[in-house]
Amino acid sequence: MQDLKAVGKRIPKIDAVDKATGRVEYIQDIKLAGMLHGKILYSKYPHARIVNIDTSKAKQLTGVRAILTGKDIPEIKFGVYKDNRPLKTGKVRSYRDEVAAVAAIDPEIAQEALSLIKVTYEALPGIFDPEAAMKEDAPLVHEEHKTNILKMPWKLHYGDVETAKKETAYMVENRFSTTWVTHCCLGTSGAIAQFDNTNNLTIYTNTQIPSLAQKDFLSALKAMGLRDKRVRVIKPCIGGGFGSKLDTYAYEYLSILLAFHTRKPVKIVFGREEEFFATSTRQPTIMDVAQGCDKNGKLLFRDISMVLDNGAYTSWGATTPSVMMMPITSLYRVPNVRYEAMCVYTNNTYSQAMRGYGNPQATFAIESSMDMLAETSGFDPMELRRINANQAGDVSPQDFQITTCGLDQCIDEVEKRLGKKTPKEKGVGVGFASLIHVGGGARVYKSDGCGTIIKMDDYGKINLFTGATDMGQGADNMVAQIVAEELGLDVADVHVIHSDTDVCPWDVGAHASRTTFVAGNSALGAAKKIKARIFDMASKQLEAPPEILVMANRMVMVKEDPKKRLEIGKLLRKFHFSTNGEMLMAEYFYDPENENLGRDFKGNTSMTYTFGTHGARVKVDEETGKVQILKYVAAHDIGRAINPILLEGQVYGGVMMGIGYALTEQIIHEKGEIMNPNFRDYKILTIKDVVPIEAPVFETFDKDGPYGAKGIGEPGCVPTAPAIANAIYDAIGVRIKDLPITPERVLTAIKAKKKLES
Amino acid sequence: MKQFAYLVPRSLDEAISFHEAHGDRAKYVAGGTDVLVKIKEGKILPDYLISLKHILGQDRPLLNQETGELYIGSFVTHRMIEKSAIVRIHYPILHDAIRNIGSVQIRNVATIGGNLVNAVPSADGAIPLITLDATANIQGPKGERSVDLARFFLGPGLCDLERSEILIEIVVPPLLLRTGSAYIKFGRREAMELPMLGVGVLLSLGESSVTCVKARICLGVAAPTPIRALEAEAFLVGKPIDGGTLEKAGKIAAKESRVRDSIRGVAWYRREMVGVLVKRMGLKCMERIKKLAQ
Ligand SMILES: Cc1cc2nc3c(=O)[nH]c(=O)nc-3n(C[C@H](O)[C@H](O)[C@H](O)COP(=O)(O)OP(=O)(O)OC[C@H]3O[C@@H](n4cnc5c(N)ncnc54)[C@H](O)[C@@H]3O)c2cc1C
Repeated sequence: MQDLKAVGKRIPKIDAVDKATGRVEYIQDIKLAGMLHGKILYSKYPHARIVNIDTSKAKQLTGVRAILTGKDIPEIKFGVYKDNRPLKTGKVRSYRDEVAAVAAIDPEIAQEALSLIKVTYEALPGIFDPEAAMKEDAPLVHEEHKTNILKMPWKLHYGDVETAKKETAYMVENRFSTTWVTHCCLGTSGAIAQFDNTNNLTIYTNTQIPSLAQKDFLSALKAMGLRDKRVRVIKPCIGGGFGSKLDTYAYEYLSILLAFHTRKPVKIVFGREEEFFATSTRQPTIMDVAQGCDKNGKLLFRDISMVLDNGAYTSWGATTPSVMMMPITSLYRVPNVRYEAMCVYTNNTYSQAMRGYGNPQATFAIESSMDMLAETSGFDPMELRRINANQAGDVSPQDFQITTCGLDQCIDEVEKRLGKKTPKEKGVGVGFASLIHVGGGARVYKSDGCGTIIKMDDYGKINLFTGATDMGQGADNMVAQIVAEELGLDVADVHVIHSDTDVCPWDVGAHASRTTFVAGNSALGAAKKIKARIFDMASKQLEAPPEILVMANRMVMVKEDPKKRLEIGKLLRKFHFSTNGEMLMAEYFYDPENENLGRDFKGNTSMTYTFGTHGARVKVDEETGKVQILKYVAAHDIGRAINPILLEGQVYGGVMMGIGYALTEQIIHEKGEIMNPNFRDYKILTIKDVVPIEAPVFETFDKDGPYGAKGIGEPGCVPTAPAIANAIYDAIGVRIKDLPITPERVLTAIKAKKKLES
Repeated sequence: MKQFAYLVPRSLDEAISFHEAHGDRAKYVAGGTDVLVKIKEGKILPDYLISLKHILGQDRPLLNQETGELYIGSFVTHRMIEKSAIVRIHYPILHDAIRNIGSVQIRNVATIGGNLVNAVPSADGAIPLITLDATANIQGPKGERSVDLARFFLGPGLCDLERSEILIEIVVPPLLLRTGSAYIKFGRREAMELPMLGVGVLLSLGESSVTCVKARICLGVAAPTPIRALEAEAFLVGKPIDGGTLEKAGKIAAKESRVRDSIRGVAWYRREMVGVLVKRMGLKCMERIKKLAQ
């Protein structure tokens, strides 16, 4: 193996010290001259007709600069289905519906103005249960849509499930459900919009998609009558993304509209409560799952149908079935697969992408069901998984080409670390679950690309402009380590500039665990171009052909004769300060050769796939129903660890997020109203809840990954819930099929079991 | 957030006179961890905050060696109580409770007095102190008075303080020989938790170390105020203590509790947990008595 100097090294996050000492600027910290503060008035009803909005009193309040209602703004449509508008007219469809917006000289005045706006509503019957919303006579959330069922094509059938059902030796059939959880970003949402005097827009906003957001805002400007303008999107440092910032939101459009009306920069920043009720959640699901295997344990079919609560508007949450398809068709070898999902409008909050993008829900159902099938068929749960494990070289029914696959190793390793299945102690058990996720980009958009520009100065230092969005996950480190490795520089020699559409190249966004793979390959491509130029230059100076040159220790040298060498800075200065001088710059756009899914949902969506197995040892308190995790092992095949500490950080964080999903977290809705919009009652886990986690890593060196790497952003939270549910079953023989697995649910199940036994 | 003036009196008398001068427009503030949250949420809108933090007084729990009474000044922070060796060794029930309040950051500023006066049914400081038969000393415009902590709480957010009165200290009477005490905060996570239930139990045994001569059971979040489970206490006195009696006491306490359904927990579950936890805390008391004897 190559002797690497930067890649594979445990280099702390580049901005760690700045963050720890409070030096980085979050949206909360940014102040522009003359800036106004915007606030949003939300609906008082989950479903109601807006009869009248009286802003006259609010307008008279000293310090108020603008008040907008739905009637004052042009037709700006946003969201995946373009069914949402920044301010509602006609009717409101959820408690988070925006009804009016105010800009004032300070946030307190803006807040007071909101309390002076009088809105008259005529309440309409609401619909909060997706299954009820599917009925013919259910109240319609969007009348013009004619039905509450979204017209989305989530339906596939590969092979022949009906025939397979007849041939199956063992079969299980169950219903599972998951509820709303939310990202809990520590940095709340916010945006500052500013127009110059010719109406070009600059917007500072917490986003994971600078380039796509730019496009959304350009169409908003067009709707406002501002054609042919420029939009510059700047993403300040953000305190967490987790998928929440993959769409554009009403508050961003409102900051733009208010800035346009007042001719001043306008800042809208969410408070914590607002962050809870006015940002989007993970999609709740009801999942019917059937699986069957033959008498040798080979899976014969998987048949799954789902109902997803879409909420009142459509963001990326509605497209999570496209990713759920991945574990459904391709986690383990399963020849016959049928899947159908319906997204249904309700008057609840609407959902968004969230780490794993549907995969945690689907994997909860599939992997719980795998253990149930193991019990029915008499196979050991891990044996059943081994029999069906994916292997390198496989092409899955969805046409996914499995290039590298460490699933076998992951299964073995987790089993080894957690010991044999049988509980030694009363109430103690172990459980396992595996995962597949995209690890080499994911072509969901026309381009899955990312650009990089490298500019070298006279001293051999680099400015690296990347399309990648760092949001704390370490995209900045990753590109710096790859470029430093390729060019024989120190990581500190590479200054990474990201998240400003005026200076950085295009990128589709920080989603699908794609950044390391795609932005990494892009940076590598640019570095290779630079390297070729440097070899060219050096070859003349060293009188040696480029093929025998290498770069290391900030030098370029002859490989077999390292005494023949030049300091890179010196070389660059020589070429800069000479007749017809030149400076080193290179750009590279990498777009992986993955495929969009076709109409039949087939296509190699990712260049490579990440696999993993998680296992938990739990102890269940049978009197209280409380579940304690004694040990957690999360093994992944990640191709190559570009930076092991950042990788472990992703896994630890993912696992804790997954444990919260499994055991404690839920947004409590009562008739569309969120009852726990705060950290006191929304039970995200704390540092004191962290369990002992081991994160073994298998490096399978994917041929397409930068230095062999695959993505690892999401997998940490994908199979956590089923691993825990399976461990609980192993411990006390009760199967919980609904998340979160609260002590109340466990105790209820224990009682039901006792009743049955007596 | 509403603006307010911040007043810094240097003595109790000065604080009381400030408060009298501004009446309902003023609010005392100690650590501010309840007051500021309420102001931010717009639940209270004082024009003046009168700080009690700068009044000199004791800054840690003190044991009176002669009387055996423990004095805890009202402005003592949770962190100081948590770190007190006296509390840890002799009043483990208080240590159990205090060390799990909020987080270190909260405990560094929040005070025991503020916790009591705030008077929520879940107050982690209140349950163990009631279990310990503590008394509250109060000073006001009309002078000083004392009240049993068990009678101090009148309703959610309501306590027995007259206008302008300040809770100045808590006095815990001497413990009987062979006494064990324990508290559990029962919640869904390990920190920053507003519990589903708080259960404090104190048991004193007779000379034989078998028969119960005194029992205290106090429940948090089981009624609009912290409550004592008097019937369960009475049931235990005079009985030999073992798992069986404690189980029965737990069941009686569960019946006595007036738990409700809320988003934080359903009533049936809470009631059942009262039973389980009273038994467990009783067993822990017994363990602690045994340990003391060794
Ligand atoms: C994040 C967080 C976590 C928390 N976790 C817990 C927890 O786990 N358990 C728990 O029980 N509580 C918890 N709390 C609540 C709070 O921290 C405690 O109740 C704390 O002890 C209050 O003390 P304080 O000094 O901050 O009170 P303050 O906010 O200063 O005052 C509270 C009330 O008491 C009055 N007051 C204060 N001192 C006196 C006095 N000496 N005489 C008369 N009136 C007075 C004030 O006017 C006010 O009405 C938490 C709070 C936060 C913000």
